[in-house]
Amino acid sequence: MSIEARNITKQFGQFAALHSVSLEIPSGELVALLGPSGSGKTTLLRIIAGLEFADSGTVRFDGEDITTVQARDRKVGFVFQHYALFRHMTVFDNIAFGLRVQPRKWRRSKEQIHDKVHELLKLIQLKNLAGRYPSQLSGGQRQRVALARALAVEPSVLLLDEPFGSLDAKVRLELRRWLRQLHDEVHITSVFVTHDQEEALEVADRIAVMNEGKIEQVGSPDEVYHHPASPFVYNFLGNVNLFHGRLDEERLSIDEKAASGNLVYVRPHLLDIHRQATNGSHFRATIKHIHSAGPLVKIEALAEWGAPVHVELSQERFRDLQLAKNEAVFIIPREMKVFRNGKGTFDGENTIH
Amino acid sequence: MGGTIALNPGNISATRKVTRRATTESLAVRWTLIGATVMFLGIFLFLPLAVVFAQAFEKGLATYWASLREPDALAAIRLTLLAAGIAVPLNLVFGIAAAWAIGKFEFVGKSLLITLIDLPFSVSPVVSGLIYVLLFGLQGLMGPWLARHNLQIIFAVPGIVLATIFVTFPFVAHELIPVLQAQGQEEEEAALVLGASGWQTFFRVSLPNCKWGLLYGVILCNARAMGEFGAVSVVSGHIRGLTNTMPLHVEILYNQYDFAAAFAVASLLALLALVTLLVKTAVEWRARRQAAQLALWSAQEEAKA
Repeated sequence: MSIEARNITKQFGQFAALHSVSLEIPSGELVALLGPSGSGKTTLLRIIAGLEFADSGTVRFDGEDITTVQARDRKVGFVFQHYALFRHMTVFDNIAFGLRVQPRKWRRSKEQIHDKVHELLKLIQLKNLAGRYPSQLSGGQRQRVALARALAVEPSVLLLDEPFGSLDAKVRLELRRWLRQLHDEVHITSVFVTHDQEEALEVADRIAVMNEGKIEQVGSPDEVYHHPASPFVYNFLGNVNLFHGRLDEERLSIDEKAASGNLVYVRPHLLDIHRQATNGSHFRATIKHIHSAGPLVKIEALAEWGAPVHVELSQERFRDLQLAKNEAVFIIPREMKVFRNGKGTFDGENTIH
Repeated sequence: MGGTIALNPGNISATRKVTRRATTESLAVRWTLIGATVMFLGIFLFLPLAVVFAQAFEKGLATYWASLREPDALAAIRLTLLAAGIAVPLNLVFGIAAAWAIGKFEFVGKSLLITLIDLPFSVSPVVSGLIYVLLFGLQGLMGPWLARHNLQIIFAVPGIVLATIFVTFPFVAHELIPVLQAQGQEEEEAALVLGASGWQTFFRVSLPNCKWGLLYGVILCNARAMGEFGAVSVVSGHIRGLTNTMPLHVEILYNQYDFAAAFAVASLLALLALVTLLVKTAVEWRARRQAAQLALWSAQEEAKA
């Protein structure tokens, strides 16, 4: 089922959570709403679910206007950030809840409910824990039960609010791959909210990047990562060095005091370190810290204009260079993204190689 | 080298183990505190309770039994049960509704409502009774109207029930508000999204979640409803066999120097208090045990994982 939100505005007292947000989600897609906290992503999700009502704007499912339809009649599956499992019910009863509260007319028989729940228990690989209470489960298990409970009523849309937010790093990774797999099997239109760019890039078909109650960009992970539509998107997706400067012709001069200059963004892994100056663009820096644990070596340096610069080198490159603390080096940007007219008003970009 | 230190006599004080925890006082302090508490409890709690039962059975079991089966005593017991039987269910409904509004919603005047609900706790019961006399008494605000329609509230059963409701209405709400506030709304939202109606959500999700708090509130409410003296005394008129509740009946018997009968009825009230405490403890114990068991299970699971 396709979802269409048009010109959604929502105000909580003095705080404007959403400013006229529009988003279209084609049937069967897995879409991530990505943004920092307070960007309105959860509010948008809750408005789609019917748990919150927009001050203005419309929500359509498959073209049908459901703006004023109650949550219980929208047939959506919703997975809450903190699971919201019914704590006084067993895993089985939790999953069966949605089937048991259906109007008698189309409620399934006891046996059918039993079969359906067991089918879902198998899907989430918790078949032997049907009799447990939520407090007897680990975080990852609870999350899977919450997902099964949402799927039990065979919703036409699955909405997930920070589904992996409160899990530890390892379980998180496992579970998000599992969610991607599940989506490839079930193919239900899904929207999930996250503030973790890595999670969005890895799991989603498309990403809507949100900031301050607005959608900054919608696109595939590749598009938003490689062709960010605004400084915010570039900044939010991955680590970044920000320089202020002026772009004349093909030459970029860094000037940290230039108030009306351009914003220059360089990802740490697109910077290289050399001992000698090269013909191309470069600047001087002093190495301050070296963190070599992990797949990449993270280096903190102080640029010649006094601001910190982050560089990521491969372990091989680092070994070849044999860098030491407080060493003076040259940093060479392989690729930079220049947003003209800084100050948030964005009117174009340049990529310098 | 470490072994030699223990052998050195000069270091004995350093090697002596201090076994008590940093927050624990010395033995003398502990026994003084415990002794004072036990003595206080004995004088002000156990002794009176023992006296009640001793006095009640002073003239033998037959007298005890007879004073309970006397028609006026039976009428008082019946009236007390009736008043509690009406007040507790009404306060249950009111308490849930009020706690619900306060625990789950934000609205203007919320703190004022909380204060108002606690009003019967802070007002003297005699004043509570007087309010009803001023409202429904013959000289009261609605007195003439009630008299014209032949309705008697003061010095009759309705007045007693009203006064009982008034003094007991904070109990259920008071117990439930913190429970509901702590719960938040997520589980109810989950139920709604899953297609449950408002009633289904309430009876299948919200109510089971707060059942211990609710039960606790009902127990306290019932105890107070049966034991209330001041407010009921003002509106009752002390008509024997008609408007006397058990506490009032005890007072009348006592004033007539009929000590055995007075203490016999009083022993019933004391017994009720004991049973209430027992049930309350059982409820608390069960709730705690359930929580502890769940915590243990989840800890074991985590250890396994």
